[in-house]
Amino acid sequence: MKKAIAGRPILLVALSMVLVAIIAFGVNTDCCQTEGLAPVEVREYEGVDLSSINAFRENSIKGPQEIDVESYTLRITGLVTNSTSYTYDEVLNRYQHYKKVVTLDCVEGWSVTILWEGVLVRDLLAEAEPLENAEVIIFHAYDGYTTSLPIDYVMDNDILMAYKMNDVILPPERGFPFQLVAESKWGYKWIKWITEIELSDDASYRGYWESRGYSNSADLDESFFGD
Amino acid sequence: MTNQLLVRRTIHWLLTVVVIIYLITGFGITQYRIVEPLTFGLLTKNLAHIIHMNLEIPFIILVVLHLWLLPLLKRFKLKQLSRNN
Repeated sequence: MKKAIAGRPILLVALSMVLVAIIAFGVNTDCCQTEGLAPVEVREYEGVDLSSINAFRENSIKGPQEIDVESYTLRITGLVTNSTSYTYDEVLNRYQHYKKVVTLDCVEGWSVTILWEGVLVRDLLAEAEPLENAEVIIFHAYDGYTTSLPIDYVMDNDILMAYKMNDVILPPERGFPFQLVAESKWGYKWIKWITEIELSDDASYRGYWESRGYSNSADLDESFFGD
Repeated sequence: MTNQLLVRRTIHWLLTVVVIIYLITGFGITQYRIVEPLTFGLLTKNLAHIIHMNLEIPFIILVVLHLWLLPLLKRFKLKQLSRNN
């Protein structure tokens, strides 16, 4: 009996050593694999502290959308001379890329400052050649969400359609493949999962939230309620 | 029921109601995909936002009254008593 009790610590030590060996082996094999390494985002750019890409609150109308990049097309339709559609790679390869730090302010009260990288919507439209009577750009998303912006706002400002945030390709929950960077506008204008850019002369068009009472101009220096 | 008690109870109940509405409308803003169907579409995100924002001042007033009304009344009573004596 005494021998059996005395033998127990030895057994425990042996078991511990085996456990340590298994863990060490596991850690060691993990450390050498580069597969599955999460993308590393930048958190500072030219002296500006950036928010994390995980600092967003998920508040889309139907939850995160998974878009297959192989079958994805971005269509430019409506009042344009050349209705066109691009694949994801075509958008990235045909147009100049730009980077800028812009803060997204959500009506819910939170905000995030992110380094956005993308192409200018203005450049996309230039190739499509908008007709003179086009007043409004209606953006359509994969989940059915829509929002609109005046064509002058997009042409006069450097409005990006981003494919990267903080140097990381947009994850599906952040709007892959493209999110609009509607700077100086409330967050509901920052449409994610863009699939179509439609030019229209319907100045009274209201997008998803705008038709539910949110301001259509959505200027940050004004209330998000009203016209 | 004395007037003082009635006032206190009214404030307490009002504060309770305001806090509950404040919470529900808060969820109505951030969790609108759940709250909207639960309320049969009555509490939309937009409406929740309007109610939530308009409740800020009543909430602060009621909290202040709830916290300080009783001590203030007590102090007032004590002063009155000391004057009468």
